[in-house]
Amino acid sequence: MTLLFDILTNPAVQAILKILVIVLGFVMIVGTVLTLMERKWSSAVQDRIGPNRANLGRFRGRGTVHLAADAIKSIFKEDTIPAHADRLIFTIAPFFSLFAAMVVWAIIPVAAPIGSFTFQITDVNIGFLLVFAVTSLGVYGAVLAGWSSNNKFAILGATRSTAQMLSYEIFLGLSLVGVFMVNGSVTVSTVVANQGQYWFGDLIPKWGVITQPLAFLMFFTAMLAEMKRLPFDAPEGESEIIAGYFLEYSGMRWSAFMLAEYIAIVGASALTVTLFFGGYHVPWLHADGFELFGWLLPLPTFIVATLQILSFIVKVLFFCWLVILIRWTVPRFRFDQIMELGWKKMLPLALANLLITAVWLLAIDHWHL
Amino acid sequence: MELKVKVVDRQRGLAEELYLPAILVGLRLTVHHFVRNIFGKRDVVTISYPEEHRRVSPRYRGRHRLTVREDGFIKCVACYMCEEICPAHCIHIEAGEVEDKSVEKYPVVFDIDELRCVFCGLCVEACPKDAIRMDTGIIAMAYSERDRFDFTRDLLKDPYHENEKTKFHSVPLPLSEEEALPNSIARVGGAH
Amino acid sequence: METTSASPRHLKPLDFGAEPMVVELGPQHPAMHGITRFQCRLDGEVVEEMVPDIGYLHRGFEKEAEATNYIKIIPYTDRLNYVSPLINNVGYVMAVEKLFGVEAPRRAQYARVIMSEISRVTDHLTCNGASAMEVGAMTVFLWFIKAREYLWELVEEVTGARLTTNWTRIGGNANDLPYGFLSMLEERLKKVEEAVNEGEVLILRNKIFIDRLKDVGILSRERALSYGFTGPMIRATGVPYDLRRADPYLVYDELDFEIPVGTVGDCFDRFLVRQEEIRQSIRIIRQAVDKLPPGDYHCRDRRVWMPEKYEVFNSIEGLIDHFKIVMEGPKPPPGEAYMGVEGGNGELGFYVVSDGSGHPVKCRVRPPCFNFVSAVPEMTIGHYVADIVPIFGSINMIGGELER
Repeated sequence: MTLLFDILTNPAVQAILKILVIVLGFVMIVGTVLTLMERKWSSAVQDRIGPNRANLGRFRGRGTVHLAADAIKSIFKEDTIPAHADRLIFTIAPFFSLFAAMVVWAIIPVAAPIGSFTFQITDVNIGFLLVFAVTSLGVYGAVLAGWSSNNKFAILGATRSTAQMLSYEIFLGLSLVGVFMVNGSVTVSTVVANQGQYWFGDLIPKWGVITQPLAFLMFFTAMLAEMKRLPFDAPEGESEIIAGYFLEYSGMRWSAFMLAEYIAIVGASALTVTLFFGGYHVPWLHADGFELFGWLLPLPTFIVATLQILSFIVKVLFFCWLVILIRWTVPRFRFDQIMELGWKKMLPLALANLLITAVWLLAIDHWHL
Repeated sequence: MELKVKVVDRQRGLAEELYLPAILVGLRLTVHHFVRNIFGKRDVVTISYPEEHRRVSPRYRGRHRLTVREDGFIKCVACYMCEEICPAHCIHIEAGEVEDKSVEKYPVVFDIDELRCVFCGLCVEACPKDAIRMDTGIIAMAYSERDRFDFTRDLLKDPYHENEKTKFHSVPLPLSEEEALPNSIARVGGAH
Repeated sequence: METTSASPRHLKPLDFGAEPMVVELGPQHPAMHGITRFQCRLDGEVVEEMVPDIGYLHRGFEKEAEATNYIKIIPYTDRLNYVSPLINNVGYVMAVEKLFGVEAPRRAQYARVIMSEISRVTDHLTCNGASAMEVGAMTVFLWFIKAREYLWELVEEVTGARLTTNWTRIGGNANDLPYGFLSMLEERLKKVEEAVNEGEVLILRNKIFIDRLKDVGILSRERALSYGFTGPMIRATGVPYDLRRADPYLVYDELDFEIPVGTVGDCFDRFLVRQEEIRQSIRIIRQAVDKLPPGDYHCRDRRVWMPEKYEVFNSIEGLIDHFKIVMEGPKPPPGEAYMGVEGGNGELGFYVVSDGSGHPVKCRVRPPCFNFVSAVPEMTIGHYVADIVPIFGSINMIGGELER
């Protein structure tokens, strides 16, 4: 018994268990289900029925069988590699995207720590910087795939994704500097814990979206661009360059790209929630229960933790839904317009936001607001 | 009437420059559609085809049929009018004679290649005997063998609601006498 | 027209020692409606040179028409502009009527106006929906297609088919508007208006959409006129040329409508002009429904119109006339006739030459989008690859009409 306890309290074992639970138990499942939900929800927006034909005997489950059908289809589909393609790079490129999409979860806390146990795979002190360093690798998936495919449309898609990355990465970073300035830290746990504070006594939770609204808009825009979703899907540009960088992919490798896209949606939603929507915080829920205007509803710790996990999941799912609905609302930018937006509009805005934040913080510091 | 010209309005102002107002207004509309179709009354035009059937217009030009006389003999007198007017040359007729003196001529062979047919309906207009019609309401024929699209005389002739191949299709009946085609089945003096 | 920063025309290519890339857009390509091919030479993403290649959908309509009689050509005309088949039916039949010197009764003419305008709405809905889809607004496309679906069901009620209508005949229409049609029409028009308004909400004020279309594919008024543009394309440049007003046919001179014109002649103007034309067409339909006179839906001229069925069944003269029309076809006097109608894309002309026999010596179609496609390189060169899509979408090339 003590041996088992020793094993379970070992940080390495705990980290592996957390990875298994969070990545396999939540991210992969939500990512997979989103592939179907994208189609069902878009059909609802567009007054269609959506996929509902795949069946197991008489069971159709309103289209859920399509998940299995799609998986089986892509496993058994012929996996073609075009002639004169760079076979090695062509083979590994999809996994760059998949890897980059998953790494985000290394630092996302899903509930408040209880004692020394954290609901977070690892809390590295460089925090978000690590995430943005690694997620930028995602673009290599697109570039390498496009370059190795030996296809003109694919190479156009690859160059577009590079151009797009160059234009959003700057204002993505700068928009977050404001957040870090407000929190005085880049560590994830600090940023989330700070959002558990309140303004005006106990009234308004001090979420990132309230302290840094402009930064939220810019960050969300940049996230849409990083996910290469509409309005920023110029690299895929289905109408002019057909499918862009993954034009030549088929079978499981194509599915890897698709899965990476949806996992990136979940990851980006989680980042948005963590940075701007209080992470796991439920408004007015403290470590020992609800508290508002001095009125207290005490709750045991495990219920608080469950509520926090639930609130985190609900927030993440809401943003997944929002990202998908935005896709079916807006048209697509041209790639030079993305660059214009990034460099001529968003970058000055991010700098202005930085300046305002700095002045504001100085003012608070000076006059003890 | 005099010529009236209207210049379209392509002026856009500051609200459009900001991107967000238009996106939010659009998002409100898409969310409205989303909520209505998921939780409320679904308003879709898609039809789950084999399970649901759309109301087919009484005028719909579906698969052909050869009408029969009251004694069950085929009405066609093999005059070749339909073969003559068919723009797709999909009708093939061979005439023959029978002992029965009330029938002068009848088609020994009356084949329609439904794969070549363009469903223009000119054969129905050209028929001087009201012997061919396209009011079966069969909107789609789907077989896996090419031969099955060659509809021979007897396949076309059989009263379609008794035909094994087509009995599952309901015949669209006109709602009223006014709505009926000149040679529709609801018309007084029609074949049925 | 000043060059905006969105247009890379004024940029000098940098010398990277790189070669231009030749890209084949089409024949199988998602942006190529129908089948056509554009060979583009790209400098980076900027189109340097472009050669359109058409003919993948050539079916020999004109040659086929020379070998069949006048009635049997009508089903072929459905397949010209297959998103507005009824306008083709009307245009061809009116050319032949001109040759014969017969005229359809007024009720038939009003019915033709109603059906033509329904077809124009479906044409513009398809074109604008596809334009929106190609710049990424898929939802707008599907809403417009939904609206088109309402109208095609109406077309089916009248003609018996959704697309291959084959509805008009020489001297009239194949059948009258059905019982209960007019109330159904009004109900459907309301739904169409709603869908069009909803689609406009998503895009018309959206800067992303405006940026994709504004100042893209400009062709000046002079160039457009010299290319022989007609229809929404010439109206977008500011020329109020509409055959329904310039050379009124049917009963258009009794109906009140406005001709929408643009100012610049870019893709955005074309989009707006088409949207406005949908509204005007709906207005025309409502007026025509109000004015629809009672009477016959076909003429009584035995040279062109098959006798009534009761005459065929009961009288030998009727049977003989019937046989003569079916077997020999209507025989117009020798001569020639040209009839241009305002199609969905512009002036759709039919030129029919007769030598007195049952089939035409020549049946030539003037497809409006032939001129547009020949101007695509001029509109495109200097723009980005991504701009080919809205430019090509805005000219609404219909393969069946272009290549006949």
